[in-house]
Amino acid sequence: MATLNLSSLQSLSSRPLFYALPQNTPTLSFNFQPKPSTPARPISLKPYHSEKPRAGVVALAVKSLGETEAVAVSPENDVTAGELPSGSGVYAVYDKNGEVQFIGLSRNIAASVSVHWKSVPELCGSVKAGIVEEPDREALTQAWKSWMEEYIKVSGKIPPGNESGNATWVRQPPKRKPDLRLTPGRHVQLTVPLENLIDTLVKQNKVVAFIKGSRSAPLCGFSQRVIAILENEGVDYESVNVMDEEYNYGLRETLKKYSNWPTLPQIFVDGELVGGCDILTSMYEKGELASLFKK
Amino acid sequence: MGSRGAAAAAALSRASRIRSKLQSALEATVLEVDDVSNQHAGHAAVRGSSDKETHFNVKIVSPKFEGQSLVKRHRIVYDLLADELQSGLHALSIVAKTPRETKPAQ
Repeated sequence: MATLNLSSLQSLSSRPLFYALPQNTPTLSFNFQPKPSTPARPISLKPYHSEKPRAGVVALAVKSLGETEAVAVSPENDVTAGELPSGSGVYAVYDKNGEVQFIGLSRNIAASVSVHWKSVPELCGSVKAGIVEEPDREALTQAWKSWMEEYIKVSGKIPPGNESGNATWVRQPPKRKPDLRLTPGRHVQLTVPLENLIDTLVKQNKVVAFIKGSRSAPLCGFSQRVIAILENEGVDYESVNVMDEEYNYGLRETLKKYSNWPTLPQIFVDGELVGGCDILTSMYEKGELASLFKK
Repeated sequence: MGSRGAAAAAALSRASRIRSKLQSALEATVLEVDDVSNQHAGHAAVRGSSDKETHFNVKIVSPKFEGQSLVKRHRIVYDLLADELQSGLHALSIVAKTPRETKPAQ
């Protein structure tokens, strides 16, 4: 399962357990509690070719919670198109009484807030968002901590949503859809060429990811990253396991010919090849995926 | 390239071959080629074969990418490295930019 967890890079395991946060699929929350059910390979969405030097001293890159203005969000607003930024940073959700319910961290604040508004609308009234410039892990952690500390100082408590064990802001990982199979099995003779089956599949389904392994257990790092991104975007997609020799026999080679693209994974949207992991990642980081999937 | 050239090319590492193929065709102003095969050694599709020279990261800055979509840019690179892809090159992470795209923002 692709759990987006910034503690994946192991540097947070020595932090005190005071700020225990639930895991949240679209929001990259810090999980300071060792969870027995944590999957073995959490996903890091750090860019491959990161060229940012590691700052020796991390200056606080976000306005304080108190200084940030709240944005009222009504369920009818399209949150992501509204005034909330889709960049990385910290955010605080206030309920309709003006109480802080949850302070979170996200690579795409607007997207995370949008998910909260859909899943717990009764707890959501307005949001404060603090974009973090140069949002590396260190800066994001610092910013989130600063808001938490500020809130605790002012109110004397932790927001209810941040208490350990609170699962309100956690989206239960949806029971994953099964991967699509191109054929009924190797024992069945195909009446149409495999290329036609591929063509039909990508044209009948809006988003299709051809990956190594299943979406619940990808078998290569690039495929895993693709799934993480698609899950994070919350888009409905089909996955096809190209390593499945029983139901997708011969798919790898045929797909490469079909798309004129020599590597896997491959992502198709609206019947067209969008690219592989690199391109998807680049679009994700630029915030271009939302509009790609909406079209 | 004569047969002697081809033999000499085969004796070079894959990284060098990639570098020379991309450099000449793309007039790259920046070209970085890294063999990261050991990071992927042992994963499902590679297991069993020697884990050498199977996965590379390339970064190219070239004016020839101007006006090309990402997909097109990647295709150009893939086409240039078709031989390598047929002979054990398994995966390529590509960063393909134009000189303008790498200028620091004003």
